[in-house]
Amino acid sequence: MASTGHALPDTGARTTLPWSGDPLLDAKLTVPAAPRAHVARHRLLDGLSAGAAGPLTLITGPAGTGKTTLAAAWARSGGPPGPVAWLTLDMYDRTPGVFWSYVVEALRRALPRLPDGIGMPSAPGDAGTSLLTRLAAATERLPAPVVLVLDGFEKVAGRRVPAGLEFLLEHAGPLWRLVITSRVDPLLPLHRYRAEDRLTEIRGADLAFTPHEVAVLLRRHDLRPPEDVVQALTRRTEGWAAGLRLCALAMGRTDDPAAFVRSLVSSEQVVSGYLLAEVLDAQSAATTELLLRTSVLDRLHPDLANALGGGGDAEAILARLTRENAFVEPVPGTTWCRVHPLFAEVLRTQLRIRHPGLAPRLHARAARWLAGAGCVTEALEHAAQAGDWQYATWLALRQLLVGSLLATPEAERVAGAFAGMPSSVPGAEPALVAAACRLARQDRAGCRTHLAAAERARDERRPAGPHPRGTDPQPHPEVALTHALLRLLCGPGDGERGEHDGVGAHGPHRGGRGDGDVGGDGDGGDGRRLRAAEEAARAVSDLQRQLPAGLVRVHPEIEALRLHGLARAFLGAGRLGEARHLGAEAVDACTTDATLPLRHRALGLLALAESAEGALTSAEDHALRALALTEGQGVGPDQCSGAGYLALAVVVVERDEREDREAAHRRLEQALACPDVPDDPVLAAEAAVLRARLELSRGRWEAALGALPGPGAAGERWPAQRLALTRAVVALARGDHRAAIAAVHDVPADGPAPLIALAGAHLVAGRPDRARRLLDRACGSPRLSLPDRVAAQLVRAHAAVLADDRTTAQRLLVDALDAARPERLRRPFTDAGPWLRHLLGGIDGTAAAPARGAWLTARGGAALPCPVTPLSGREREVLGCVQRMMTVDEIAAELTLSVNTVKTHLRSVYRKLGVSRRRDAVERARELHVL
Amino acid sequence: MRYEFRVTGDVSRLLSEAFPELRTEPARRETLFFGTVSDEAHLYGLLARFQDLGLRVEEMRRLPE
Repeated sequence: MASTGHALPDTGARTTLPWSGDPLLDAKLTVPAAPRAHVARHRLLDGLSAGAAGPLTLITGPAGTGKTTLAAAWARSGGPPGPVAWLTLDMYDRTPGVFWSYVVEALRRALPRLPDGIGMPSAPGDAGTSLLTRLAAATERLPAPVVLVLDGFEKVAGRRVPAGLEFLLEHAGPLWRLVITSRVDPLLPLHRYRAEDRLTEIRGADLAFTPHEVAVLLRRHDLRPPEDVVQALTRRTEGWAAGLRLCALAMGRTDDPAAFVRSLVSSEQVVSGYLLAEVLDAQSAATTELLLRTSVLDRLHPDLANALGGGGDAEAILARLTRENAFVEPVPGTTWCRVHPLFAEVLRTQLRIRHPGLAPRLHARAARWLAGAGCVTEALEHAAQAGDWQYATWLALRQLLVGSLLATPEAERVAGAFAGMPSSVPGAEPALVAAACRLARQDRAGCRTHLAAAERARDERRPAGPHPRGTDPQPHPEVALTHALLRLLCGPGDGERGEHDGVGAHGPHRGGRGDGDVGGDGDGGDGRRLRAAEEAARAVSDLQRQLPAGLVRVHPEIEALRLHGLARAFLGAGRLGEARHLGAEAVDACTTDATLPLRHRALGLLALAESAEGALTSAEDHALRALALTEGQGVGPDQCSGAGYLALAVVVVERDEREDREAAHRRLEQALACPDVPDDPVLAAEAAVLRARLELSRGRWEAALGALPGPGAAGERWPAQRLALTRAVVALARGDHRAAIAAVHDVPADGPAPLIALAGAHLVAGRPDRARRLLDRACGSPRLSLPDRVAAQLVRAHAAVLADDRTTAQRLLVDALDAARPERLRRPFTDAGPWLRHLLGGIDGTAAAPARGAWLTARGGAALPCPVTPLSGREREVLGCVQRMMTVDEIAAELTLSVNTVKTHLRSVYRKLGVSRRRDAVERARELHVL
Repeated sequence: MRYEFRVTGDVSRLLSEAFPELRTEPARRETLFFGTVSDEAHLYGLLARFQDLGLRVEEMRRLPE
């Protein structure tokens, strides 16, 4: 069925919107055709042309006042000062990622020579700058004016899209023009725009038809009533365009138009109700039935209408209704059409009253038709409205929509469809989808519960008894893949932290292994966990190969999710090298706009792994790229990951830049506001470690200890180790080496870091030989990270100081300084204790250490290589003004520059700093010491 | 919370049936809609529905419980 619906020319442009799958994309980006009997309204067209001399024109008015018709007529006329990019909005476009992709696509169609790379944040060289900044920069280079029309802006409810638009209006080049049609005033600072004379408005009263326009409209319908009838009609309808069209239609049907007008004028009824009844009553029974049954749809297709029981001649009926131009409008370039919202609401109500209980059945049928036509998300929504959860979940799994749910801007819509699914729906497939929905909300525990339910349901379904294994009904590969992917991503549960794990490794029996040792339990619960994760990841790979190549190709997020899940598992096990490698692969696998949210998460994870390995410059860079994707892009607040914020805070703490402690605090707070930080044990532990570190740097030991959850609170190896080692650092800072040793004994893991911490404690406790043995073991590890290496050198240096061997101590210190310098890794030196200060400062200039340690005490990073392109002098001046809260106009006056030059400088500042907001620019500049 | 909406003109059944959650009462050249509004989202949804159907809200007020 349904071939005509999506027989659109494949322009290839759709590949930039792979999550859409919407055959009506072309229609959204096309200027709508003029309705039959269109009236050219010159006073309004001229108003629009005048408005387009300035940056913003707003057309507002209630439904059916002719906003779209006017904007479209203007776009087709010679009025616009340049090419027109048109975008018809619908309620699914309120996700910024979706909205801005459409905007870029609309511009690309209007301007063949739009600079490349605007919509492709993954393109090399664009990293760290947000799409909005790049869009603003692109408008700067426009050769001639360009008009963007956003039709139906009231449908993008919420603040996120208007906020981005406000930024663009503020920073776009002088040839950029915006026209907005909306039923309600958009959430833009219209007052300010009015005061600055940057806004042209065409409002409801302007849109009302004048008697002259009414007469023209009626003439187009071959009606020539006398002047007084025209006047009466105009008064009665208050010039309401939709009402006048209905009048013309009703008058055309009757033999006595004047009588119709008389009875309309004398009626006390609301115009819309009166006319709706007139028009609906005039339809044949078959037409009425068709309209009622199709009222469950947002838009109609003849085949779909027939599938809903329209009687088989839907095409003819719809063609007639479209021709009559009453309330059915064609979607240009397609065989689809839309019913005017005025009628849609009434028809839905009448369906409910005349055919109670039919609506769910119609939704269920529509779902199947739409799924067959490739409109999967829409199909899902209809199945949900039908309450047909078995079908909805089956469809979601077969179409690999779990990937979309977990990683793409489409997630909101898919999650919305399943929001109403009751937990009582039986079966493995509903349980799998419920698990995915929980994971999408960062609820790993809930995900695991539903996964377990899915496994139980699956096992029950298998025939019991002595069937040979091979005859078990195998689940479809799509379902099995979803299952394996969810297993991988939801990670190990706290309940699965067994006695084989770290908890058992610090009991009294450990004394037998020598009191200086740490748990060498290299393959306990953590080994099992990692193996399980690797197994699940392998299953996902294998199953992907069993699926049709086309299905896999449209879901690149599955492979990216697989890599990300595996990277996360390795990080949880403390295998930083593998975590980095896989994290980078996951980032590279996110190549489309649709995978931006996942790219954001993968970058954050990568940055966190790097920050733990001491690769601070790289960690900072990746974390900033992760954050750049959250501003006005595909990543909404609910999909935001705290990993990048945490990595930035770790970088600050590791560099121990005192004046930046506030920045670390701020980053930590931002991280805690992200939904995944409390839920993910690795992130939660990192947040606790940071809090403790910040308290410790103020000398508040108790508060530092209070910030750390007790031993055994974190199930996985890596977070448990991070927490225990931080406890040891706090204990050593207050001189309690016994407590430090006890804390390290809590560490369930192998790896060099616990050995080094223990060595430090034993050294302070007066056991240098044991310390040396531990260090030798630690330094033999292939997993020695930079902070480990530096810390080990410092313990050795300390040992040398205690042995009164200052020459060796100096040599070791110089080695440590040289190793730490490229990353400005100061934290191990701060942790080391007061002896270091004597060694550094107490020797005269002939020694190498003080000179080479200059960077250690030189605070601030201004003299050091900056991770961003340096700002020019002018840019710095402009940024200084921004810091003083000056407006663009004030800055221009202050620096005697033109407003546009100031804007150019600002855009350049934003680009270099990788931000898209004034406040962020100031903050970022402070962090980088460029202000 | 209970609300009352005062809408211009006589509203026919065809239109008032689109508000199954509200009761209507004709007044002079006006129609009163009143009933329980579950939350803010519902309230704005109702206002949008009035607008969709070409109805003009003259006045809206919250009724004492």
